[in-house]
Amino acid sequence: MTTIAPSGSITDHGLRRYEDIRHLMPDVDNPTPLVRVGRSIPGSGLDLYLKLEWLNPFGSIKDRAAAYMLDALVESGELGDRQLVEASSGNTAIALAALAALAGTRLTVTIPDGVPEEKKVLLRMLGAEVWPTPDELCPVDNPKDGAIALARALAASEEGSRYAMVGQYDNEHNVRAHYETTGPEIWRQTEGRIRYFFAGFGTCGTITGVGRFLKERDPTIEVVAIEPQPGHRLPGLKSFAEAKEPSILDRGVVDHVIRVDDDAAYETTKRLFREEALIVGPSTGAVVWAASQFGGDRRGMAVGVSPDGGQKYTSYFAEVLGDEGLPQV
Amino acid sequence: MPEITDIETTEVLDCTGLLCPLPVYKAAVVLSRLSAGDVLELVCTDPGSLEDVPALARQRGDSLLATDSAGDVQRFWLAKGEER
Repeated sequence: MTTIAPSGSITDHGLRRYEDIRHLMPDVDNPTPLVRVGRSIPGSGLDLYLKLEWLNPFGSIKDRAAAYMLDALVESGELGDRQLVEASSGNTAIALAALAALAGTRLTVTIPDGVPEEKKVLLRMLGAEVWPTPDELCPVDNPKDGAIALARALAASEEGSRYAMVGQYDNEHNVRAHYETTGPEIWRQTEGRIRYFFAGFGTCGTITGVGRFLKERDPTIEVVAIEPQPGHRLPGLKSFAEAKEPSILDRGVVDHVIRVDDDAAYETTKRLFREEALIVGPSTGAVVWAASQFGGDRRGMAVGVSPDGGQKYTSYFAEVLGDEGLPQV
Repeated sequence: MPEITDIETTEVLDCTGLLCPLPVYKAAVVLSRLSAGDVLELVCTDPGSLEDVPALARQRGDSLLATDSAGDVQRFWLAKGEER
């Protein structure tokens, strides 16, 4: 892929010296790390590794899809001199805002309920325009998907002359990013021994792209989706009991769906902080909790996606902690 | 419903040409900075507004005082409810 980076640069991966931040985008020769977690899933026979996607240059797994989708818009000429608009719970938008700034354009984000202030401030720091959007904004046609409906309306306004919508929920380049990078990385890093893959339902680019790649290599690999409960507070994840399924989701690559409630996800996230020293976001807690429930008598190497880091959720964690860790005088 | 001519409008928001849900989004932004009892006159052309604007009023606890339709143009008069 290109990530619209300059060519003929001084980038040297061996020296970890880079001409441009976009050269840090991962690929099979420069993968994000897999780190084993054993302490947080007691009693499970799974040998679970987390793929630390928060070590991507803009802080989440969405860096991959954002780069692919923006490249496609630029290379096809669709972007032209328009600005970008996208509905995002934050991570895709953060990556797009950073990449848009480098590409000389600007991003408008419609951002749904339940996204922490930290992400909104980060977006504004990156020069994006942020439109906080109630989930119920468009209750008749788009229940619980107000941000998506609003982004589509912006893209269609002014006869499409002002905004180009990225459309991560319907964009095959989202899937392609994971089929061409995340999947091959995992296959190589596990030396083909992976038996189970865990990822959340969100835009479904990850689970579809990685699942498709892995099953083409070994159809017996089982793909496990994590789905939150309706009304959840797990940014980035989607409950299809209340939101529309993205068109890019390929149910054919999903073998199991495990539903996770918020308390279990946040409690597991706290354990990951304290038992594994992994500063992860709450969706990683959901993935690890699901793996612990799924494991049982199953054996073998498993990989779960850790989509983002915990720093963007400190206001949420403050609520979870209450007065824990403060002097009790 | 009161007669339209009796309504004292505080502010007019012209959303002609905008597609839903942009008019209700912009209306909610304006209503959030008005005071209780203030009246917003919202002008739309997207037929989706006929369903979305009453839904907005119900969700927010505002009152839809009156509506008017002339050709493709719909007008809504929304009175801001008490702060929640």
